[in-house]
Amino acid sequence: MTEQGTAAAAAAGQDTRPPGAAVHRVRRRDPVPLAAAIGITVLGGLILAGMNGSYLGLTVTTGVGYAIVTVGMVLQLGYSRQLAFSQSVFMGVGGYGTAVLETKYGFSSIESLLAVIALAAVISLLMGAVVTRAPGLALALATLLLPLFIYQLATYSSWLGSFSGINGVLPFLTGPDYESTLVRSGIVSVLLLGLAAGLVLRVMRSGIGLQLMAMAEDERLGESIGVSLRQRRLEVFVLGSVLAAVGGAVLASAQGLVTPDLINESTQITLLLMVFVAGRKSIAGAILGAIVIEYLTTSTSFISTNIGIIEGIALLLILLVEPDGVAGAVDRLLGRRTDQWASSLRSWSAGRLRARGGGSVGSGSGV
Amino acid sequence: MSEFLNLLAAGLTSGGIYGIFGACLAVWFRVSNVLNLAVGDFAMFGAIGTAWLVQTGGLPFGFGIVADLAGVGLVAWLFDRLVLHFAFDRGKGAHGIVSVFFYTFGLSLVLEGAARAMFGTDVFAAPAIWPGAALAIADFHVQRAGVLVIALAIVSGLVLWSYLRFTVSGRAASACGESVLGARIVGIDSAKFRRRIFVVTAVLAALFGIVESPITGYTYMSGPTISLIGVVAAGFASFRRPGRAVAAGLAIGVAEAMLGGYVSTGYNDVLLYAILFGIIIFRPEVLGLGAEPA
Repeated sequence: MTEQGTAAAAAAGQDTRPPGAAVHRVRRRDPVPLAAAIGITVLGGLILAGMNGSYLGLTVTTGVGYAIVTVGMVLQLGYSRQLAFSQSVFMGVGGYGTAVLETKYGFSSIESLLAVIALAAVISLLMGAVVTRAPGLALALATLLLPLFIYQLATYSSWLGSFSGINGVLPFLTGPDYESTLVRSGIVSVLLLGLAAGLVLRVMRSGIGLQLMAMAEDERLGESIGVSLRQRRLEVFVLGSVLAAVGGAVLASAQGLVTPDLINESTQITLLLMVFVAGRKSIAGAILGAIVIEYLTTSTSFISTNIGIIEGIALLLILLVEPDGVAGAVDRLLGRRTDQWASSLRSWSAGRLRARGGGSVGSGSGV
Repeated sequence: MSEFLNLLAAGLTSGGIYGIFGACLAVWFRVSNVLNLAVGDFAMFGAIGTAWLVQTGGLPFGFGIVADLAGVGLVAWLFDRLVLHFAFDRGKGAHGIVSVFFYTFGLSLVLEGAARAMFGTDVFAAPAIWPGAALAIADFHVQRAGVLVIALAIVSGLVLWSYLRFTVSGRAASACGESVLGARIVGIDSAKFRRRIFVVTAVLAALFGIVESPITGYTYMSGPTISLIGVVAAGFASFRRPGRAVAAGLAIGVAEAMLGGYVSTGYNDVLLYAILFGIIIFRPEVLGLGAEPA
């Protein structure tokens, strides 16, 4: 059955339950999201501990901040095809919110993180209730304008530190020295990334995820099987925006300051590249893409100098050759290799069975 | 009264800039259903390339303009042959809503990176085509480059509108945007129209960059902002009507100048973008975007 068909069956198969309830019930104990969250946290924590507070560790922590945003974009842009370009603005909500609460109102870093999550949820809910009514290109156009005027607002506002921003943002956890502080804060950032990835995977692999997929393929199909388009659009917008705010808070915490550059259109462009080059439908691709591109843009090599040309050519090649990005290409290669292994295993086991019993083994019997 | 007129002149000048890029975007979108997000980068190459050829390369101004425009046209043609041809004529790669934005977004990144590598990070301005002091009538002042910008915007908008509305070729080009398959069935070569109009709008944007650069100056990073304003102007023309895009651009420019003159000099852009945002969200029917492109 195709994905669309599965979504339709999932949503329409129940008379008395809401759409997607059957699939939702079947997949309630899906272990993948939790395993992914734990895996990302443990692996990322070990890598950051191994880097021991070096400059590379700071770069990776910054990349983790972007990765939290790109994980949300996978759900918004890649999976649901919601053309909203407001992620850098919500990064600003997270970054500036954290900075203001900590430097002007004496909040601790964890209190400010929780506060900006609540703030971003409220703002995105209010904004989303309005902007998600707009048709596809109008939504794109409206959200393209957002970074322009929010950036200018931040640069003109002395309360937000104007062009130099706000300094003195606290790390998530403080250690006895700079290196241990960086490692501890980095581990908290990786924990947040793990939670974000687990949450997004949970949504994508649930009945709601199938409804989103059906909507992305054809909105009329979604409507015909009883999906509330407006509600789902709003939910995706809010989740993507909240994750962007968390990413902004992580960046501000890692760097100790927040500037208007966090909001401007260049940041939005970088985020789009991170998602599209690495793979707009892959959580792993979005995470690795964010960290690798952040590393490339901050290193002092030939690549960082010519990053624009390299990113542009990479994007064009990806769009032409493998629209699902590097992750899509890797998936396909691994799929082929796995098929080859499975085929070899089948041949081998069939040969063994023949040698033992002399009976015939049908090709469709499988192993 | 003189303050109002001077603000109007400044607004029409910046509005002409927005309008012409909006018109370039709209006419190509009408043919291909793709937004040309590299239009600002073509203007940047027009301005910086001509300035570099004349000031560093020592070429005569006229020859510098011709060489630069030929170079921009060649880049646009090559992009179509190497990327758009495979994407749209041979059916390879990403389609749907991704193709609306991201092919030309990739080109924009390449052009920006190439400009940085070739010309560095300095501000460039091509020599003025109509040199001399600002024109003055009583207390009303307008720069000569501004007059050229407004005139070129209006003429370009009218020519593009007339081409699409009154010529067989223009109607054939519009048909390509309505249905590529239908256009091909009746013998219209959609690839040829897409390529020709892409090259023409790229050259027009570059010419506009040359004319306008004495007013604002250009760096390698100027392109995306121009493209974005062009997208907004084109959006108010349903992304398909070049004449209306020019009018929308002029209106946006005048609104920006008036807000700066009478409301707040610091927050005029903020107010303008907020107003545009509000219009798009609360009155999307103004955009005429009932259906998304295929």
